[in-house]
Amino acid sequence: MEFEAVIGLEIHVELNCTTKLFCDCPNRPGDDPNANTCPTCLWLPGAMPRLSEQALEKASLLCLALGAELQPRSAFDQKVYYYPDLPKGYQLSQAHLPLARGGGVDIIDEDGSPCRLRIHHVHMEEDVAKLVHEMEGRVPISLVDFNRAGAPLVEIVTEPDFRAPYQAMEFLKALRTQVRYVGASECSMENGTMRCDANISVRPRGTTQMNTKVEVKNMNSVRHVGDAIAYEIERQGASVQAGEAVVLHTRLWDPDKKATLPMRAKFEGPTVPDPSVSAIELSREWIERMRAQLPEMPAARAERLVEQHGLTRDEALSLSADPESADFLEALVAEGVAPRMAMHWLTTQLLPAVRERRQGLGTSPVSPVRLAGLLHMLAKEEVNAKAARDVLAQMFESDRRPEAIVQACGFSQISDRGALDDLIDQVIRGQESAVANYRAGQEKALGFLVGQVMQASRGKANPKVIRELLVERLGA
Amino acid sequence: MDPIFFHRNPDPATAEGPRQGLRVALQPNLAVAGWPMEAGSRALAGYAAPEDATIVRRLRASGAHLSGSTHMSEFGLGLAGNGTGAALRAGEADVELVLDLMGESRLAAAGAAVCGFKPSYGLVSRFGLVGLIPSMECCGIMSESLGGIRAVLQVVAGQDGLDFSLPEEPVPDFAPETVDPARITVGVVGEAQHDLGVTQEEAFRSAIDGMAGAGFAVRQVSLPEWPLFALVHRIVGSVEASSAAGRYDSVRYGRRASGAKNWNEMYLLSRGAAFGTLLKSYLIQGAYFQFERYGAFEDACRIRARLVGEMRRLMAEVDVLALPAVVSGPRGGEAADDASDAPDGVYAQFALTLFANVTGQPALCLPSTMASHTGLQLVGPRLSDGRLLALAEYLQKTGRGGN
Repeated sequence: MEFEAVIGLEIHVELNCTTKLFCDCPNRPGDDPNANTCPTCLWLPGAMPRLSEQALEKASLLCLALGAELQPRSAFDQKVYYYPDLPKGYQLSQAHLPLARGGGVDIIDEDGSPCRLRIHHVHMEEDVAKLVHEMEGRVPISLVDFNRAGAPLVEIVTEPDFRAPYQAMEFLKALRTQVRYVGASECSMENGTMRCDANISVRPRGTTQMNTKVEVKNMNSVRHVGDAIAYEIERQGASVQAGEAVVLHTRLWDPDKKATLPMRAKFEGPTVPDPSVSAIELSREWIERMRAQLPEMPAARAERLVEQHGLTRDEALSLSADPESADFLEALVAEGVAPRMAMHWLTTQLLPAVRERRQGLGTSPVSPVRLAGLLHMLAKEEVNAKAARDVLAQMFESDRRPEAIVQACGFSQISDRGALDDLIDQVIRGQESAVANYRAGQEKALGFLVGQVMQASRGKANPKVIRELLVERLGA
Repeated sequence: MDPIFFHRNPDPATAEGPRQGLRVALQPNLAVAGWPMEAGSRALAGYAAPEDATIVRRLRASGAHLSGSTHMSEFGLGLAGNGTGAALRAGEADVELVLDLMGESRLAAAGAAVCGFKPSYGLVSRFGLVGLIPSMECCGIMSESLGGIRAVLQVVAGQDGLDFSLPEEPVPDFAPETVDPARITVGVVGEAQHDLGVTQEEAFRSAIDGMAGAGFAVRQVSLPEWPLFALVHRIVGSVEASSAAGRYDSVRYGRRASGAKNWNEMYLLSRGAAFGTLLKSYLIQGAYFQFERYGAFEDACRIRARLVGEMRRLMAEVDVLALPAVVSGPRGGEAADDASDAPDGVYAQFALTLFANVTGQPALCLPSTMASHTGLQLVGPRLSDGRLLALAEYLQKTGRGGN
């Protein structure tokens, strides 16, 4: 029997707000343990939650970015469970009335066809504390770090639309791009600001039933999500083939063993309305104000990059996935650099150079204005491509204008015919056999001669002019 | 042990302000920075409040003096043996603050022959209050004089940047108003008189007759769904309590149990040792509705909304409701200390008062001059707190209402 997988994702995104969700403590989980705490996020007796406006705004932008519909009324519930990372006994989460419903993400499927993966709803919730287990020493102890307690989270729950690991990975990449676009989160799975759980079940291909699912957690990269899902489909398929029943439970992905391992029975505690956090009522005007703050989203931007700047579809898609790169390209074009040249230099020269130096586009000393200065000189043939690459390398070392670097280092291209004539004479005299070959009709020999002149000029000559001059001189 | 105070304020009264000279006793469920805040529970043994509750901050700023915190029942549920009113009787305070979960401040007042008042829900900040039933609880005010109640209400009521659950609505100023009996209709709730003892019934009738004699229009009104108030209170209240008490874990404060094999057992043992019998029964009941009968809880929430609507309709017909308040169960006249330590007994005891916690209405209890442990409850629509106080003052001044 052939099986197909039915997969739904639950994605937690940690919003990059300045404060926590229900108090004014800094939202910096990485600080010294328990540095960012107050009675509210320590959940001490008598403290009361106060919903952060910034968190509501960022969460709402995120919902709009995913095409989800903000609900006029949403509210917080208490998700009841007892665990030392949640010592008040319940987590504030929007279980019954979520912030937004619907929406989805468009991807290109493995076979190249467009595919929409739907979102069921998006809700806000508070993060729990972090447990640190110290197993060394005579008595193992568990410590609780409340820096993360009360951090603002958004959970995106998809429809069970996914059939393959590839779709899940593409979905996560597209989702990450869109959330980054609205500036709501860094969405780094490696740093834990985006976490993804997958619910997976299998069924005979062609049937529509929903079978018992297994929840898989602990994947800390997009790649791991794909691997874990692929493994789990295989595992469940095999166990169904063997006639074993799939039991509802939670498994952890072990990246070293490349396997999912059973963790615990899946626990669903009750959720009751919280009486202390007021319901959230969003007016139509407020929602429109949020919508007006939405930047141009990646799909729209890719389309515009194709139309306005003549990029290819693939270039535009990959560029718009990274708002920083796309912004840089558009800044170059705004400085008068031809779009093709800008695209070429950005992707083949600048980005690798920035990466090599472990910098970001925004933080590197090569601003769009400086790079545009260099590319203008290249376009006007004041430097050649090789020299321009050297100048770029120097631009990382000093903040001098590219023109000044070219001057100071003698990178100026020699396009002056008079200056080149001497060099050409020397080469024609010294390379008699190549000259003879060219005259005998071997075109290849011309390239060799151009190279010789370039070498004699120590790379500064304009190869186009050399070629013209050589053809002129030898063709006679 | 100090028979009146759980914690006596060691500092002399020094603050200045409009409420200078007013001595306020409170319960150790309201945060006073540095004071023990045990809320009558072993679960909070040794826990000291990190900062002032909003009520406390406002009282201090007004110049009032905090005399100390009194003994109280565990988390304020019921009145069993807590000596509420003792500070007033002993002349150690002019006003006592008492958490009103189901009528505690009103019944304690009837028992101590003083006035007891539960403000409208949402009028007084709950910031810094160790609560149990967030959607029903309110800090009640007891005093021999209605002026004392007004003096405290004026200071503590109103929006609070630390309690976002207070609705954004204009806060009345509670200033004394003139009362014209001819323009006020009193609705006497029939269902609330069914189980009264003889002396209590006489006392209540005499109070109503007095009001009629003073020129108030008195009407019999009916709340056919009266028994549902107790049911709704019990289901919603116990569910909320079950969640709210989650943080009173006896692990970060209180007494952590020793000898547990793992953390889970440590939590279970600590909580098991911390809570008293009544509270445990109540929390288990709430957990039962949360985990096993969630549908019944949802029904109770729906019925609550319906009861609130029914009450609103009734309050459009009359200005104020009159009901008896009787200590220790409608049938008996026993002392307050006799309350059962099972939820059944507590709910029977507060059968006449808990409806105002379900609806969030302001409720005032005036002690009867004819029968002990008995009072006249006056209940108005939400935010009519000032008018209710004025009406009660009128009745006291004219000696009407049997009070």
